Amino acid sequence: MSFVQRRRFLWILFLTGLALLAIAANATTLSRLRFEELVHQATAVARLRCTGVQSLWQDREIWTETRFETVEVNKGLLPGVVTVRMLGGSIGNLHSRIDGVPAFHPGEEAYLFLWGREGEPFRVLGWSQGTFRITRDPRTGVERVTQDSAAAPIFDPLTRQFRHGGIRNLLVSIFQLKLREALEEKAP
Amino acid sequence: MNMCVNRICSITLAVFYGIWFAAIAQAYSFDMIVPDVRQPLALSGGSACPVHAHQLTAAGSIAVRWSTAQNANPVTILTLDQTASGRLTEIEQAITQSLAVWTGVSGTTLVPATFTPLTRTATQNACGPDGLNSICFDQADMAFTPGVLAFTRVITTDRLGVQVGSSAVATQLGQILDADIYFNPSDSNTTYATPQALAANPKAYDLESLLTHELGHSLGFSHSAVWSAIMFPFAPTPGTFSGMRPTTLRPDAPLGEDDRTGLRVLYPDPADVVHRGLISGHIFPANPLALPALPPGVTGVFGAQVVAVDAASGAVVGATLGGWSCTAPGPTQFDGTYEIAGLPVGHSYTVYSEALNGAVDPSQFDNGIVSLCRNTVSDPGWPPLQGCVVPAVNTSFTARTRPGP
Repeated sequence: MSFVQRRRFLWILFLTGLALLAIAANATTLSRLRFEELVHQATAVARLRCTGVQSLWQDREIWTETRFETVEVNKGLLPGVVTVRMLGGSIGNLHSRIDGVPAFHPGEEAYLFLWGREGEPFRVLGWSQGTFRITRDPRTGVERVTQDSAAAPIFDPLTRQFRHGGIRNLLVSIFQLKLREALEEKAP
Repeated sequence: MNMCVNRICSITLAVFYGIWFAAIAQAYSFDMIVPDVRQPLALSGGSACPVHAHQLTAAGSIAVRWSTAQNANPVTILTLDQTASGRLTEIEQAITQSLAVWTGVSGTTLVPATFTPLTRTATQNACGPDGLNSICFDQADMAFTPGVLAFTRVITTDRLGVQVGSSAVATQLGQILDADIYFNPSDSNTTYATPQALAANPKAYDLESLLTHELGHSLGFSHSAVWSAIMFPFAPTPGTFSGMRPTTLRPDAPLGEDDRTGLRVLYPDPADVVHRGLISGHIFPANPLALPALPPGVTGVFGAQVVAVDAASGAVVGATLGGWSCTAPGPTQFDGTYEIAGLPVGHSYTVYSEALNGAVDPSQFDNGIVSLCRNTVSDPGWPPLQGCVVPAVNTSFTARTRPGP
């Protein structure tokens, strides 16, 4: 099999998967965004390190602003410090919660797919779908990426088995490769 | 080279199947809140044990209104009846039906009389922390991004005596003071159809399924990892609906058994003699050295999903996210405990367990797991003896079960 044939085979395989995904995946709170859609719809994609979290009242709601230090920019233009604003948080004795909204703590690193309109703070695109957290093996130093929306296994009553899935425990190097390939593709 | 190709194929397939089955979920779980023990005993109860976020269930305790303002260009809520009044009636039917799904579960104190009659408001931006539970179909909100269809924002309190806007003053810890449901009005590619209009609009999401799911959040539910549960975070594909349609005989038909059990745990009816079964146990690692060294005091596997399946029917009757327990005055102990309550007595059950996968940091999980602990770092002035830190989730173990003594 030549290199061109191999490459074509892989693309066919991948596109078949995407086509099937388009048929099957939708969400109650979230509608499924494929990885390529996340890449193309994001205003910016970057590896960020959380430096601080603060909740505040604004527009009659409790919001949480998370400050990040920019580690690596993969798409878009970002300053050295990025603020992401998401609905929910705690102020005083009131706790405002929305399932699916990602939360971060200082020191944590993640690849975030950011979305925003001019003059507005960034939000995380597709919430848990646009959050890819980085974990580092303390012994080997190897870094892996897990998408928030793939955090837990699902129990299928028909087969009585748990199903694992999603982008989880992917080596950062492979994630970056996947990201680069998606960025090089034309927008759908 | 062939090996290389095989490896790439494997990676591609892994990514493909990974995306296919991706979901954020846990077994049925609730929004939890740790009372503010810095407050006087009369206001906090004095215990740092997490309590369920919940609504009051006395007659007329929950009022829900919905905003009749809708996006007209393009129309996002599709109805069979195209007249102005007919459209509103049809949407209101879907809301009423969705509420009735939850009040139709036997063995709970959440009954139709718990809700005051559904009301309408013409205010477009009716949703907000005003103490009124509202459903909004055309309220632009800065939380939305592409891919977000709808969400429920729930405000709870961790001490008594608090109120939000015109809400009742909190008389119970964990009391929900305001729960608003927002549908995304600004995504021109997304439409929602009433049950009557769904068949003619196969690209639309079923409004009733989404409403039922979101109302579950407003009652205190977090997400479920059980495929058949209405609280499973992923809706059926457009043009289809969750479970079965409600009927007069089975008003709760869209729910899974997991949802029903969860509701019975949240709002138990003391008079219920059927759903009093309880399965509890511990999940321990075969090798205690596998437990995390930090934070100290972790004695069991934390973050395991435990599912109880009715041995006769095969139905998933209950599921929970296990690994902790708490006895007043707290704090939470991470001792591997799990408990599934509200099960019909006289049945046999098979229990399945599985670790959360791949994710090491607990901050990424839903409210049910993030909010088990408070401490001096998260809350200055917190009593150290009642503080705790949620440990990293155990992500790799193979479950074996054995009967208790």
